[in-house]
Amino acid sequence: MAKKSVWSDNRFWQRTAAWITGFASVLLIWLTFDTSGQIVMGNDADLQNGVTKRVPGPTVINYKITYEMDAKRKHEVPVIGEKEMFFGKDDWNEEEAAALLHLGKLASQTKNCMNCHTLLGNGAYYAPDLTKAWLDPAWQETGPMQAMTGKSTKEEAMAEFLQNPSKYPTHARMMPNLGITADEAKGLVAFLKHMSSIDTNGFPRNFGKIQGAVNGK
Amino acid sequence: MVQDVLVAQDILVDDFLTIFVSSTLVLVFGGFYVGIYTAVKVNMLKKWYMPLGYLFWALTAYCLYLMGSLMHVNDFTAKALIVAAIGLLLIPHAVYYMQDRVHEDNEH
Amino acid sequence: MANSYLTSESKKLATWYFTFAAIIFGAQLLFGLVAAIQYVESSFLFEVLDFSVARMLHINALVVWMVFAMFGSVYWLLPDETGIETVGIGLGKLLFWIFAAAIVVVVLVYLFIQVGPANETSIWFIHEGREYIEAPRWADYGITVVALGFVANLYMTGMKGKQSGVVTVLMADMIAFAGLYLTGMFYTDNITIDQFWWWWVIHLWVEATWEVFVGSIAAYGLITMIGAHRKVVEMWLWIEVTMLFGSGILGIGHHYFWIGTPEYWWEIGALFSALEPLPLVAMFIHVLYDWGKMQGEQDAQGKEMSVITNKPAFTWFVLNAFGNFLGAGIWGFFHTLPQVNLYTHGTQFTSAHGHLAFFGAYATILVGMMYIGVQGKNGIKILNNTTSTIFATSMIVGGVLGMTVALTVAGYSDVIISRAQMGATWEGYFSAQTTTWLLQGMYWRLIMGAVTFIGFLFLVKDLLTIGKAANHVR
Repeated sequence: MAKKSVWSDNRFWQRTAAWITGFASVLLIWLTFDTSGQIVMGNDADLQNGVTKRVPGPTVINYKITYEMDAKRKHEVPVIGEKEMFFGKDDWNEEEAAALLHLGKLASQTKNCMNCHTLLGNGAYYAPDLTKAWLDPAWQETGPMQAMTGKSTKEEAMAEFLQNPSKYPTHARMMPNLGITADEAKGLVAFLKHMSSIDTNGFPRNFGKIQGAVNGK
Repeated sequence: MVQDVLVAQDILVDDFLTIFVSSTLVLVFGGFYVGIYTAVKVNMLKKWYMPLGYLFWALTAYCLYLMGSLMHVNDFTAKALIVAAIGLLLIPHAVYYMQDRVHEDNEH
Repeated sequence: MANSYLTSESKKLATWYFTFAAIIFGAQLLFGLVAAIQYVESSFLFEVLDFSVARMLHINALVVWMVFAMFGSVYWLLPDETGIETVGIGLGKLLFWIFAAAIVVVVLVYLFIQVGPANETSIWFIHEGREYIEAPRWADYGITVVALGFVANLYMTGMKGKQSGVVTVLMADMIAFAGLYLTGMFYTDNITIDQFWWWWVIHLWVEATWEVFVGSIAAYGLITMIGAHRKVVEMWLWIEVTMLFGSGILGIGHHYFWIGTPEYWWEIGALFSALEPLPLVAMFIHVLYDWGKMQGEQDAQGKEMSVITNKPAFTWFVLNAFGNFLGAGIWGFFHTLPQVNLYTHGTQFTSAHGHLAFFGAYATILVGMMYIGVQGKNGIKILNNTTSTIFATSMIVGGVLGMTVALTVAGYSDVIISRAQMGATWEGYFSAQTTTWLLQGMYWRLIMGAVTFIGFLFLVKDLLTIGKAANHVR
């Protein structure tokens, strides 16, 4: 075997590695530009004009959000409905709503939510997923969580819980007191409501829809 | 109520175990295929083991099919799975061919 | 560090890195045990050292010890590969102390301050609350400086000395590794954009640049430990780089299914994820093939001896090839397609995969490098196993496998109940958490975690004493 095959040539594979890596990287960068354009936060005008954004603007807190099956996409998507009171008003302007969301997002990081809960499915698995927590049946008017805190609205009930989590245990595994102030709690609830309005391609599936017997328990 | 929600795309509760087991077996059988192929080529196993190797590849392909159909994968993913199955079929051939060439180039 | 046979300053520095890495590895296991106990007995250290803090320390210690051991590995192999002493070794030593000191400060703040008010100051000085890269912003800059210094040393040495294929791959890989960290260093109110870039760091580290790093280290190991032909090994390394980057870079798509990013990521993620196990299969065959080949050559010469010059390290390298395939390959593949990931994303399955993949793909080979360090430091020609080596290896491997199986069983229950049947609600989550399968899974995980920790104690004992054992060829 005197002939050298191209397949056993180091230079050939070195070039292949460089080209493939370069090609994959360029493709990823191109896709990143495309995706970045689609996930940028919307604004108040979009919401008023009914323009659907994958990540709506902060003033989405003024609206009722539901999670409904989309026949065409074959999975559930958040639907932004009519106006709804949020901490006593439904006319949060862009600056106020953005400031509230900013505080909430900062709180979600500084209080280390992600190392017990999952956000958009990422994080730790020691506590429930928060992606659509705002829509959780447990927090609705008839739900056990809202009743437990004795508050009359979902947002107030959630804020109350966040400030005194160990006062309202739902399970032997409790949320610890993280020193969340009233303002931070309000921000966190806005952050959760905003997160529930993000189009997550149908994750989680059948959220809060299925009732009845559970097998495997 | 439950029926309304369980539209065509949902994975049935009873199918999950089959999906997890078959997707694990994809790589286990795939590993057997690659292992047997390599072992026969380097003369660690007798020649007649080779059909057994290809049988494992066939099992791999079947498990991929089973997994894919129970998961209700879309057309594109189905194609991706076929590409992966063919890739797995070819990879040990290519690897062996190249290893052999390099060793010959180096030792003679 | 008395009685060292090492003459190379670079190798001495490598042993510092390995030592510090081993200490942090221990810390990782300890905080993991705390978190595992909390799954079983939730009042354990409640509001003293909460799960969130223990878990943050557990995963940060993981990242840090691996980065330390990776830097150490590079400083170890540089003199061998380039034929010269590492350039800028003084800088390397200075950076080691800065890095180590910064880590200690960060850990103390995590432990004693834990959480801060919701403002930028907390992000800068306490932690950023983003899984795996929680390090506060000041430390981000510190890490960047340290990483750039390390990369500079690697480049200066590679360009001045003989630039082997292994060094070339490492040079390309390490600059990407350091550069990617920058994409995780900003704050945004938009959680979708936040997580998009966060995955650039996590995924492109763990499923691309770190894997290529492992390929380079495995190549070095095969050359030094069994005398594999450099040309064969280096050609393989290029093929592995092709396959790993070819599938791994766009494989990032499997993290973009559900975070608010467009639907086309389903297709991209599915396609490249399906390809991701292939290089792992190839790496596995390659190691076994070369081993068989070299042993065959030796046997043909009539020498009744193993070709392996460092038994414990080689064991860990083989475990790496297998573990990478098992943990990253099998455990990754069975929940990677979007149709099934919709139900498994963010369940105990992810945790099972995380444990086995990090261990199989990275911990194994880095422990192997530590043994190579011990061999060199004690001037041993052929390093053989001791009883402690065998206890350490089998207990750590058995423990991690046990944890993985326990978490997989727990994960199955989690998926079926909290996801498939109850749609990931609060009630669904706790319904799954209280099933017998999940409870027992967590109990077994704790037991297996304890086994792993005992194995680690044997490992430490072995690394400290194996050099003095009498059964080696000196």
